[in-house]
Amino acid sequence: MKSENAIDPKLIEEILKFNKNVIEAPKHVPAPDEIILEATPHDVALEVDKTRLLHYKPLTDKQHKTPLLISYALINRYHILDLQPEKSWVRNLVQQGFDVYMLDWGSPTDMDKYLDFDDYINGYLDGAVEFIKNESSTEKISLQGYCTGATLATAYTTLHPESVKNYIATAPVIDGWRDTTVISNLAKNMDVDQMVDTIGNMPPEFMYYCFSVLKPFEQGIEKYVKFFKNIENKKYVDNFLRVEKWLSDTPPIPGELFKQWIKDIYQDNLLIQNKMYVNNSHIDLKKIDMPIFTQVAVGDHLVSPECSMPLHYAVGSEDKTLRMYPTGHVGMIASSLSQKKVLPELGKWLLERS
Amino acid sequence: MSSKPQALASTGPMRAFATNSKKVSTELIEINETLVGFNKFVTEYYKQLAETWDTAQKKVNLKAPEVPQDVEQIEAFKRIWIDIFDNDFTELFDSKKFGENYGKLVSKELDLTKHWNNISNVVLQAANLPSKEEIDEVYKELHSLKKRIVKLEIESKKGKVKNEK
Repeated sequence: MKSENAIDPKLIEEILKFNKNVIEAPKHVPAPDEIILEATPHDVALEVDKTRLLHYKPLTDKQHKTPLLISYALINRYHILDLQPEKSWVRNLVQQGFDVYMLDWGSPTDMDKYLDFDDYINGYLDGAVEFIKNESSTEKISLQGYCTGATLATAYTTLHPESVKNYIATAPVIDGWRDTTVISNLAKNMDVDQMVDTIGNMPPEFMYYCFSVLKPFEQGIEKYVKFFKNIENKKYVDNFLRVEKWLSDTPPIPGELFKQWIKDIYQDNLLIQNKMYVNNSHIDLKKIDMPIFTQVAVGDHLVSPECSMPLHYAVGSEDKTLRMYPTGHVGMIASSLSQKKVLPELGKWLLERS
Repeated sequence: MSSKPQALASTGPMRAFATNSKKVSTELIEINETLVGFNKFVTEYYKQLAETWDTAQKKVNLKAPEVPQDVEQIEAFKRIWIDIFDNDFTELFDSKKFGENYGKLVSKELDLTKHWNNISNVVLQAANLPSKEEIDEVYKELHSLKKRIVKLEIESKKGKVKNEK
């Protein structure tokens, strides 16, 4: 007699297969130090303190005249823009004939706790821009900022518009009060003075906590279930481990910089109101009068579109473009969609102005 | 020399530690007071998580009342469970009550850290080593000196260009 509650044999098969995959996982997974995250060949063109300016080697016979400098975010490292050849933001632009530089902010230590917006904008970023201008014998460069790197790049562009020919803001953190993400809620309720005075730099562990509350069940359970289910798929495992390695590499953020960022952007929202100052210099978004291209991801749960889009309306430029993509914060820069849609559109826009 | 035995003790760690031992006691008492506040906010933190879990599970039970029997049903159930839990927890983490309590919880943790730092400073002082504040002063000075050097370099470059013209 057949029981009504008989378990589907397929289900048992699935469970056994999953168990087998978990047990055999170490055979398929390389050690973290065996995974090399930088896919595109480059030189270190300049080193200042812990920052490095990377210069990517050309992959085309001819290059467009205006060089492009990417100001990466302060959270995690720049590797996400060059994680693997087929999804590399940098490689795609180099293959389109652009002369690409990237600013690696490095890993600050306790000694760097007094570094502030002024050091990053008028020091490291301006130093890199001046170096590139000198190297390429141009008076202006194209500048791209990603996430918090776009907050720095935006402030830089208002202070040094004479050096920026085109500005690209990718998921920029601009209007903190409109940001509807969990990160923004935590930032708004943080006693940042106490944090910086007590522990100095913003510790990576705090960022890991912030990441853990973003889609906790999809990211904390389903992601790993999928990983073990696909353990024999070499490409899937490779991609997964690269992203995991990138996620686990979060440098601290210098205390003074973090303090000003949280206060001026999330708590007092000074940037979008044109009330922000860096070393007594006024950050006036109207001074951004060069061509500007703002890229926003509709499903961004780290920087919500409402936080990024106001930049498009606040700048003084007449030549301005806003594009929204049906993807997330990382999907916009490191996915098949970014290769097929985001980068070709950016390349076309940039080429017309380079 | 033999008439001043207290001078011997003044150079060792015990005298410095004994002088500041009251500070250690005070810090330990204050740590206990801070822990009371910390416990209040950590209890509220887990209460919020537990309540959200409970509500989300009830929603799942309503939406998928049948026990899944095969692979497809389990897959569908898992999807419902994850979607509802992610939605409800994101709503919690986005809420004012969570943000405020979390902010206060972190603040109490920082208070605890501050007390530990103060106790460590007593020990460091006894061993004739610089305290955290003294090291911070050095970092601040270095930062300020670096800025001054960069400024001077820029001015020097401008001067050179002017002279060349």
